[in-house]
Amino acid sequence: MSEPGAEPVGPPGRARLADLIGLLARLTLGVVLMVAGGLKVTSPKVSAMAVRAFQILPYDLAGYVGYALPVLEVAVGLLLVAGLFTRAAAVVGGLLMLAFVIGIISAWTRGLSIDCGCFGGGGTIAASQTQYLSDVLRDVGLTACAAWLVVRPRTAYSLDDRLFG
Amino acid sequence: MRPDASKKIATVTPKGGPNPIVIGAVIAVLVVVAVVVAILVGNNSKSGSDAGASGSSTPAGVVGGDAGGILANPGAAKGKAPTLDTYEDFQCPQCGELEKTLGPAITAMAKAGQIKLVVHTLSFLDGNLKNDSSSRAANAAACASDAGKFLEYHGAVFAAQPAQEGAGYTDAQLTEFAKTAGITGPALTTWQKCTSSGQHAEYVTAVQTGAEKAGVFSTPTVKLNGKDISKTLTTADALVATVKAATS
Repeated sequence: MSEPGAEPVGPPGRARLADLIGLLARLTLGVVLMVAGGLKVTSPKVSAMAVRAFQILPYDLAGYVGYALPVLEVAVGLLLVAGLFTRAAAVVGGLLMLAFVIGIISAWTRGLSIDCGCFGGGGTIAASQTQYLSDVLRDVGLTACAAWLVVRPRTAYSLDDRLFG
Repeated sequence: MRPDASKKIATVTPKGGPNPIVIGAVIAVLVVVAVVVAILVGNNSKSGSDAGASGSSTPAGVVGGDAGGILANPGAAKGKAPTLDTYEDFQCPQCGELEKTLGPAITAMAKAGQIKLVVHTLSFLDGNLKNDSSSRAANAAACASDAGKFLEYHGAVFAAQPAQEGAGYTDAQLTEFAKTAGITGPALTTWQKCTSSGQHAEYVTAVQTGAEKAGVFSTPTVKLNGKDISKTLTTADALVATVKAATS
């Protein structure tokens, strides 16, 4: 959609590299959110129970959070993959990841043995089956992706670039 | 359109997408969508689609409030006998395992009055397995409690648990279990009505809710006098010894 007169400003190598790192961050966070949300979106009751199993929020509120999370994840994931409203989507995605990290660490430190239910499932499992460390590391990594995009939302091959760039 | 001006604006305005108002608006829309979905789904699932039924009556033998478990050995427990609470989903394979290894010992202690056996029939696996067999079987077991045959019915269901998790139970199977449990004649007619109408469907939902509120998020969970002993359950002998130790 670039006008004939406005020739594309050939970005210096570093900016191009940053755009590509942004693309990687956007796709990583976006795809993970889409998959995680997509796996849960058809079974809201399971998702509700997974949130309740953290035993942080009151019963009813935890249920509502469980119903909303998959839809929100899919929506944010779609925006990120498309590169549309990248900064806004990254803010929401990053806050979600922070909440997940806090929730998982909270469950861990309270000695609960639960499956985070991040990709469906959830509930109590054998202590030997818990994978809090890898869950936390994954979500910290995804938080970093979100942080990058909040600070520098410009990425390669984004709709933002096409529409507003 | 003046190319000069737009070019100047482009150099002044940092590239990087929409302005903060748009960003804020998108965040707001996302949050609103999430809240609306949560409320819609929440209301939808509250109106109780489980077992497609209307009944609200609490079955016979329920102890500890309307969301409590069913006392499986009414009148049998001796004075000092501890309470053994089991939380099981009829479709849970590990529950089937537990019934195989510990079931006979639990049943024997229940009949001998050494424990007060309270069974909580959970139904959350319906959500995981996308069927309604846990709720239907739990409702049928509650109906069997009305007929005074809960423990027998409970045993019959687990004895016939499908090898493939998620295969579920047919209505014909549920009826077979009633006959195996020794429900006959007019009692069987009453049981059949109770089962097909989903008379205790609300109770079944309440038990699930009550268990989650009590911190039970998996099956099988076994509590002795309120203390979770699920992790110590290895052999029938160990369970009997634990129960003896709790009897004073």
